[in-house]
Amino acid sequence: MLGLAFCCLCALTSTSIALDVPPLTGRVVDLAQVLPAGDVDALTASLKAHEDHTGNQVAVLIVPSLEGASLEDYSHRVATTWKLGRKGTDNGVLLLIALKERKVRIEVGYGLEGTLTDLRSAHIIRNEIVPRFRAGDVPGGVRAGVDAIFKTIEGTYQAQERPVHRDAAGTSGALQYVFIGIVVGFLAGIVLGQGRSKTRALFGSLLAYLIAQAASIVWGVAAAATTAVLLWLVLRVHRGGGRGRAHDDWAWYSSRGGGWSGGSFDRGFSGGGGDFGGGGASGDW
Amino acid sequence: MSTVRVMVAGFLTVASLGGCGYNDLQGMDEDTKAAWSEVVNQYQRRADLIPNLVATVKGYAAHEKETLDSVVQARAQATGIQVTPELLKDPAAFEQFQRAQAGLTSALGRLIAIAENYPNLKADQNFRDLQSQLEGTENRITIARKRYIDRVAEYNKMVRYFPTNLTAKFLLHLAERPNFTVADEKAVAQPPQVKF
Repeated sequence: MLGLAFCCLCALTSTSIALDVPPLTGRVVDLAQVLPAGDVDALTASLKAHEDHTGNQVAVLIVPSLEGASLEDYSHRVATTWKLGRKGTDNGVLLLIALKERKVRIEVGYGLEGTLTDLRSAHIIRNEIVPRFRAGDVPGGVRAGVDAIFKTIEGTYQAQERPVHRDAAGTSGALQYVFIGIVVGFLAGIVLGQGRSKTRALFGSLLAYLIAQAASIVWGVAAAATTAVLLWLVLRVHRGGGRGRAHDDWAWYSSRGGGWSGGSFDRGFSGGGGDFGGGGASGDW
Repeated sequence: MSTVRVMVAGFLTVASLGGCGYNDLQGMDEDTKAAWSEVVNQYQRRADLIPNLVATVKGYAAHEKETLDSVVQARAQATGIQVTPELLKDPAAFEQFQRAQAGLTSALGRLIAIAENYPNLKADQNFRDLQSQLEGTENRITIARKRYIDRVAEYNKMVRYFPTNLTAKFLLHLAERPNFTVADEKAVAQPPQVKF
């Protein structure tokens, strides 16, 4: 009988409605509006300073209620959706507070699990955050928690010159293959097409396809087609004796190279592509 | 002219290799293995925590012999299973592994539950630390399992869909893999209950 009741309970808790992940509007997302505006700014500034200094991305989320979702599940969903931390180093941390349930969790990215261990996270919650929360001082608890997290993870990683931008990561990866494919294929095509047989230049196009299909087959075909057109244009001009024209094409082409590697990081805050494996600790007050 | 023919042949060969899913299948096979390693890793981590936990509880509640023994036994059973690559392909062995781990989960749940009756144990710093680590590990297990389930689902789809099923069957000799079942997932996803 007890077992049956337990099963029902399990079914109830696991089928609860999934709470949505809020948009990442900044380093501090206070949906419950418990932090004074000045505190949010100060906290954001210190979180930004920490990221500039160490590269670690730490964010704070305060929700009024979990609406029946499990703390651990929700926290992991938020952290992986926001992708805190750099791709590859996975050095992100999320401090999640659910006011109604009086629950708090520190979610730690893969790359910081060695320094900000489950145990260390539990100690921060137990010794820094919970006592202040119990006294009714939520802003103080958040600040103390964030400071303790900083102290723990400082020096784990060095800041990178240019953090990877999340939006750019997917397509820029593909574009890189396409770009390299076209350049290599184009150069190879020019070399091969120097002799009598101009059709040999088409091997350059095949080469472009082979390189760019690492991104996807569609990209590969696109790269091959672009290379073929470029080669046709250049070799035709070349054959006609218009060397200057070919040079112009080449100059136009190479100038494109520098165009798409820039990108400012400070316009808005976004995750760097970090991943989370469930590290961290939970607590309640 | 012959160069053009070679070119076309080259395109077709490479394009058909992409279409038959050879690379995707190999990649997914590798992904499921990596996800599986993470699952085993986290289960191992949990098993490593247990001797300390049992010793600490013994210090305060030595007469809860039955519960303590059942944890030790369940641990021995879970760690006694040889985790070989063949385990992933054999549904029976996989089921056995899954059952042993679920048994350990429930034995641990009972152990943590009895701690409620011993205020001194509950207040013990060492016990609290071990409990935090255990909770953390259970959480990682949940996530590692979830990721494994997703990976295997993707992989199994690939193995069954046409035309990649032909590549899987005749070229790579890959078969469907057993996955964690939902019923068991619920039992494991339930973290050890501290409050009753």
